[in-house]
Amino acid sequence: MVFRRIVFYNCFMLDPAISIRGLTVRYGSFTAVDSLTLDIRKGELFGLLGPNGAGKSTTIRVLIGQRRPTGGSVSVLGHDVVREWAKIKPLFGYVPDRENHFEEFTGNRNLEFFAELYGVPRLRVRECLEMVELEEAGNTLVRGYSLGMRRKLLLARALLHQPRVLYLDEPTANLDVHSAEVVHRILRERVSQGGTVVLTTHDMDEVEKICDRVGIVCKGKLVALDSPLALKQQHTERITDAILATGERQAFDMDRESERHTLAELVRDGRTASLQTREFDFHATFLKLTGQAFE
Amino acid sequence: MRFYILRALVVKELHRHAANRGGIALGLLLIAAAVMLSVFNPAGFGRGGSAATEAAGTGMVGGVQHCFVYYTREDSELMTPVLNHLEKTVPPDLAHRVRFRNMHPDRIKEGVYYQPGVASIRINAYTQDGRPHLRVDVFHPPGDTAAMAPYETWLWRELRVGLQEIAEQKLKALKVTNADLPRVGTADDDLWAVREAFASLRRDADGWQPGLVPEVEITREGLGGQTLELRSAIATALVVFALYFSCVYLLPTLNCEERERGVLLAQALSPASPAEILMAKFLFYPVLGGTLAAIIAGVYKPAVLSTLFFWAGLFTVAAGFLGIGMTIATLAKTQRAAFMGAMCYLLSVSLVLVICSTNGIPFVSNLALEYHVPRVLHASLSGSVHSVHWLHLLAAMGLAAFWLVTAGWLFRRRGWQ
Repeated sequence: MVFRRIVFYNCFMLDPAISIRGLTVRYGSFTAVDSLTLDIRKGELFGLLGPNGAGKSTTIRVLIGQRRPTGGSVSVLGHDVVREWAKIKPLFGYVPDRENHFEEFTGNRNLEFFAELYGVPRLRVRECLEMVELEEAGNTLVRGYSLGMRRKLLLARALLHQPRVLYLDEPTANLDVHSAEVVHRILRERVSQGGTVVLTTHDMDEVEKICDRVGIVCKGKLVALDSPLALKQQHTERITDAILATGERQAFDMDRESERHTLAELVRDGRTASLQTREFDFHATFLKLTGQAFE
Repeated sequence: MRFYILRALVVKELHRHAANRGGIALGLLLIAAAVMLSVFNPAGFGRGGSAATEAAGTGMVGGVQHCFVYYTREDSELMTPVLNHLEKTVPPDLAHRVRFRNMHPDRIKEGVYYQPGVASIRINAYTQDGRPHLRVDVFHPPGDTAAMAPYETWLWRELRVGLQEIAEQKLKALKVTNADLPRVGTADDDLWAVREAFASLRRDADGWQPGLVPEVEITREGLGGQTLELRSAIATALVVFALYFSCVYLLPTLNCEERERGVLLAQALSPASPAEILMAKFLFYPVLGGTLAAIIAGVYKPAVLSTLFFWAGLFTVAAGFLGIGMTIATLAKTQRAAFMGAMCYLLSVSLVLVICSTNGIPFVSNLALEYHVPRVLHASLSGSVHSVHWLHLLAAMGLAAFWLVTAGWLFRRRGWQ
């Protein structure tokens, strides 16, 4: 059983969906991405996190072929993004952070246009609108859509041709809780069907909830790469906050023998008013890893 | 190039314009203007510019902006002092409008094609039967003799003064001091009176010494060409505007709008290649402008649609404007910049053409597509295509090719930015 799992894992790693090798992107003297090396597996939902100017958007722009790398190489599903961009284009879908619809068209017409470009039957337009719960607004002009509806329409457009790789920039921004849940469900479905999803987000709960793995980038470098659970295990602070009977507040590090002993004595002597253990805080972990204020 | 992608892109452009009510209203207004031009045409519905209206001399720019004075030095003894006097006495308000040109005696009687707003005076001095002769031919715009009035007033007055001074100098050389040659009277543009004034001067001078004053022969003729006919000129303006609006204004502004909104990126990330996106725009905008232009021209004068010259001109203009539009679209980053670029281009070209026209600056105007285009289209709409209009068409084709190459080169360098 263990052997089979290793073989399965190696198959993924030998043939990753996205392979980034020493990617460097410079804008003049500013280095946006600095020797980034990263493999994203097939059938994985990968979260890319980082503060402003960390290089997330630049990395995505390289992945969608809109920015040539200064150095290194990037391949998507075995194709080089620079040399074989035309081959890669039909394989991925992209949800940008800024909505880009034809305002003068209805939602339906917007999707029909892109369906024609992808050579997808019109029936699929209806399916995609239903998927993002916009079927009733399909015949409304996009200029009448709310921000959330526009974002859902972006996702519907990206899903039209059932891409093998899906890039999403802030997919749940401006969405209500229910709509965010719908998006999460769609993304998990894509992954369960073998698709690869790469998203950038600022929502830590979202990362914990849906991402298989997370890469944290800062100043163009990858500072952490693991599953949310592993990051949690690595970075959870085992600290207990105590409010003493005197009203004084004190924190005890549970990894230190002396502090554990002191806390035990205080509890035994009834000199504590309340005790609380700290939960894992992705935000705090993020700050610790990047050393920067969160965007 | 994949047909289904091209079709999707072209249909998208069509739907975008169908959703633009302002654009549709503008197109309908242009067609309505053409209908009115045709319906209220004295020559009859659908006749376009007629001989009757042309003869009325309804030039868009009235009068004569430039007058060429051609001369030969066949009889240089007479011509040189006459010419010196005329050159010295050009009134200041006509100084930049009158151009003196030496012409070979063999060519003085040849026909020359003049642009609207240009006329000429030809002076030829020669000796016949031992007597000096001075032949003055005035060529005015057809049906508009009055257009030459300021030039003729100056010419007749100063020619008489000049001949009188020459005669007086000759009499002085003959020691005749009491000669009483007739004084120059008030300006008169009646040709009989002018001839009589010269004859009177010659008769009086002959009394002292025969041959002192040449025999002046005067003719006044209409030019062989046609004036800029007002209806055809308006129809030409509508046709040019339709093409300009479509290719130089709509194409760059809507293209930059797509770029600003990110829709162009969305299309670029789809299977459509940049070449296909470009080709769809190349197919759509000239066809849109050309169709509107053909409808306007057809409504104004249906017969024009059966002429090769009109279609050749229309395709050339569409291609040239497409090149200009794509150049602006490639250089401008935003919709506002594209709009400003289109307007600045229009104004700067208009300014250059006006400056060159009013100051007689040669050649520069020929570098502007907008110099040749109205002439080509006006000639086809007024039904007066001369060999010179084919030259304008050739020049327009060359300039259109230049703009297309420039647009292509810039696109290859800058892409969609």
